[in-house]
Amino acid sequence: MVVSERRLAIPNNPITGILLAIPGYFAGVWLGTLFGLNDDQNTGVILGYLLATVAFLAGVGFLNYPLERLFGWRVTPITDPAENAGVGRFFRLSLDHKVIGIQYLVTILLMLLLGGIGAMLIRTSLLVPDSTITPAGQYIALIGLHSVMMIFITSAVIVGPFGNYLVPLMIGARRMAFPRLEALSFWVVPPAAIILAAATFWGGFPTGWTGYPPLSEQAGQGMDSYIVGFALIAVALVTSGVNMLATVIGLRAPGMTWSRLPIFVWGIFTTSILGLLAAPVLAAALIMLAMDRTLNTTFYVASNGGSNYLWENLFWFFGHPEVYIFILPAFGIIMEIVPHFARKPLWGYRTGVVGLFGVALLSWFVWQHHLFVSGIAPVLRPFYMLSTELISIPTGIIFLVTLGTLWRARVWFSVPMLFCLGFLFNFLIGGISGVYLSDVPTDVTLHGSYFSMAHFHYTIMGGEIFALMAAAYYWLPKMTGKMLSPTLGRIHFWWMFIAFNSTFFPLFIVGLLNMPRRVSSYDPSLVGLNRWVTISAYLLFGSMVLFAGNLIYSWFFVSRPALANPWHARSLEWQVPTPVPARNFDRVPVVVGGPYDYGIPNARPVADLGGMVGATGGG
Amino acid sequence: MAVRTQTYDSAADAEVVLDIRLVAVGTWLFLGAEIFFFAAWWFAFFYLRALNNDQAWKAQGIGAPSKGYGAVVLVLALLTAGAYWVGSRTPSGTILFRLLTPVALVLGIGTCLFQGYEMWHLGFGMTDGGYPSVFSGLTGSWVVQFALATAWLGSIVTQAGPAGDTIARRKPAGSFAWILLFLALIGVINYILLYLVG
Repeated sequence: MVVSERRLAIPNNPITGILLAIPGYFAGVWLGTLFGLNDDQNTGVILGYLLATVAFLAGVGFLNYPLERLFGWRVTPITDPAENAGVGRFFRLSLDHKVIGIQYLVTILLMLLLGGIGAMLIRTSLLVPDSTITPAGQYIALIGLHSVMMIFITSAVIVGPFGNYLVPLMIGARRMAFPRLEALSFWVVPPAAIILAAATFWGGFPTGWTGYPPLSEQAGQGMDSYIVGFALIAVALVTSGVNMLATVIGLRAPGMTWSRLPIFVWGIFTTSILGLLAAPVLAAALIMLAMDRTLNTTFYVASNGGSNYLWENLFWFFGHPEVYIFILPAFGIIMEIVPHFARKPLWGYRTGVVGLFGVALLSWFVWQHHLFVSGIAPVLRPFYMLSTELISIPTGIIFLVTLGTLWRARVWFSVPMLFCLGFLFNFLIGGISGVYLSDVPTDVTLHGSYFSMAHFHYTIMGGEIFALMAAAYYWLPKMTGKMLSPTLGRIHFWWMFIAFNSTFFPLFIVGLLNMPRRVSSYDPSLVGLNRWVTISAYLLFGSMVLFAGNLIYSWFFVSRPALANPWHARSLEWQVPTPVPARNFDRVPVVVGGPYDYGIPNARPVADLGGMVGATGGG
Repeated sequence: MAVRTQTYDSAADAEVVLDIRLVAVGTWLFLGAEIFFFAAWWFAFFYLRALNNDQAWKAQGIGAPSKGYGAVVLVLALLTAGAYWVGSRTPSGTILFRLLTPVALVLGIGTCLFQGYEMWHLGFGMTDGGYPSVFSGLTGSWVVQFALATAWLGSIVTQAGPAGDTIARRKPAGSFAWILLFLALIGVINYILLYLVG
């Protein structure tokens, strides 16, 4: 098994990557200045970002393998697990899915901190009804940075750390299908985040995360950060999608039939389909935008044969499935964790899988509801209204599967379970408000208001981030070998749950009172509600600080080793020792039982871990 | 429930067979992503052509580049894919494989050079409306991908040493033929749209 990329003469690590990226950036700027058609530096900035990214990846070691192939050298990757040990492996190009999962986790948490600080700045500026704290131009730049950073994070926050770490363990595999692609999907994220953050040096970008032309055509160089940063995330989504899907299709252990696949893996599977197919459309749209800004093409210039509606269609054809890229893994987490703590089989397993696929399928047919207020042909509105409302059916099915599992269960109210219950409460509000917004008259009235902003945050923060916390408390003991403090965990849950609802529920009211989003000034009559929300937002941020404190306290001060299976769960990832061995399983397991067969008389153990030697295909 | 298993001479053989299967699966998944990528460009083509905003889909006097020249590029791309396809289906180490793979490489380089030359001599500027934009973007995206595929083809040629290709190194070779064929097929669709329909 390949555990790390072959190393060449130069040391391959992020420092080398950064040292190469800096001249790479300036070389790009120089080339852009030399050959660019305009005086506005867009060509130079975009080329600079691209060359810096390639140079960074080369420094980390990604070009070793293709260059070795191209020049006919012997390709001898490192296969000795001893070479992939120690803390240093987290700072190298590792091909071990467990290392990549931890790399993702740390990076995403740091990005979450940055995005959270952005949110605090936004709320601070809304303490007063005029724009004295943050002038209008800076405010919209702040909104853009916060939104895109959070979109980056939420695209990967579950699939990155937990998908990469857990999927092979849950399906009985020793590795991922394409470890280099898996590593690439991670190593493009730090450059994407840095490039996006670099937009601040150019004054940010004024479009928010949607990047609508003609504003994005006219914006300064901060928009180039948006283009390249988002394109890198598209690369991450595609590479991750290919790797995850091929892994689940081709590396399941014997006996791991499709009907025994853990529901979390189904969540990752459906998400990966969406990422794989939606991200290329975004990439194409971004290339068109970059060409408009650098080569003077006219894709989005209505006065010269283009149309801004082209962007709106392409962007939302990606953008709406993207929303389900956020939430499908969260559904998977909830349906995965609840049976373990309800000590009951997952009620309606197959129905839950159908629900996941139903959401994934319908997500391709709803994108134009984002264009209700953009002037699309009225004849199209009913179809997209109905298709959007239809999506509440598979979502409701997933809800019912979870509630059915809880029905008459003797629930173990552990910290992960509390976050699952919090998810159900929050997402119900987010989902129902979404049904309202899918209705054309309501959408036309509320689209630009804080109502839609509150809806979105209820689904993503109240949904996905609560699921993330459930996953963190549930699986981090397996991933890190250390238990988290349950007392601090409980305090964290209640603090976060109350602060979240106190922050975002009033925003529905603020929206109904016609406070527009993305605007830094508002009617003075709304100052009381806004101050309430801002203080609640500070408290919400404080709950995240408490979570970070719990991590530090539990890992470094208490350091209580985690048992191999602290939750007494049946699923396969809990049957391996903690810490997880380098090759996951000494022998490929033979799966003989389902992961949720709790309370079933004479239920067989989930797998025979002393199974066969060698690799095999599907179940 | 019966558990489907397979036996191999050694664990290493099993890994190789598994990898071949994974690469095949991964290739098809990648091609799925590629279809959506090019579909976005085709959508741009039909959308802007149908809207014809400001009557500027094609400004006055703007026409498609030479159909004959475009056909030459297309034929080269098809020959590249065809030569590699035939080569990759022959047993490793045979003369046909050793002959056809470098031929495919030369044809692939020729495709990129001819397409690059055409891009510099289009007869219209980027600012001349919707059609020039779509032509430049779609053809440019296609040729960049074809160039990357050709570079990978080069790596397959260099890896096929005198001792013949080993099964471990051949594993991406068979599936890679599908990528070249796919790109050639995209070239056909692009030709129809950009030279005949557009």
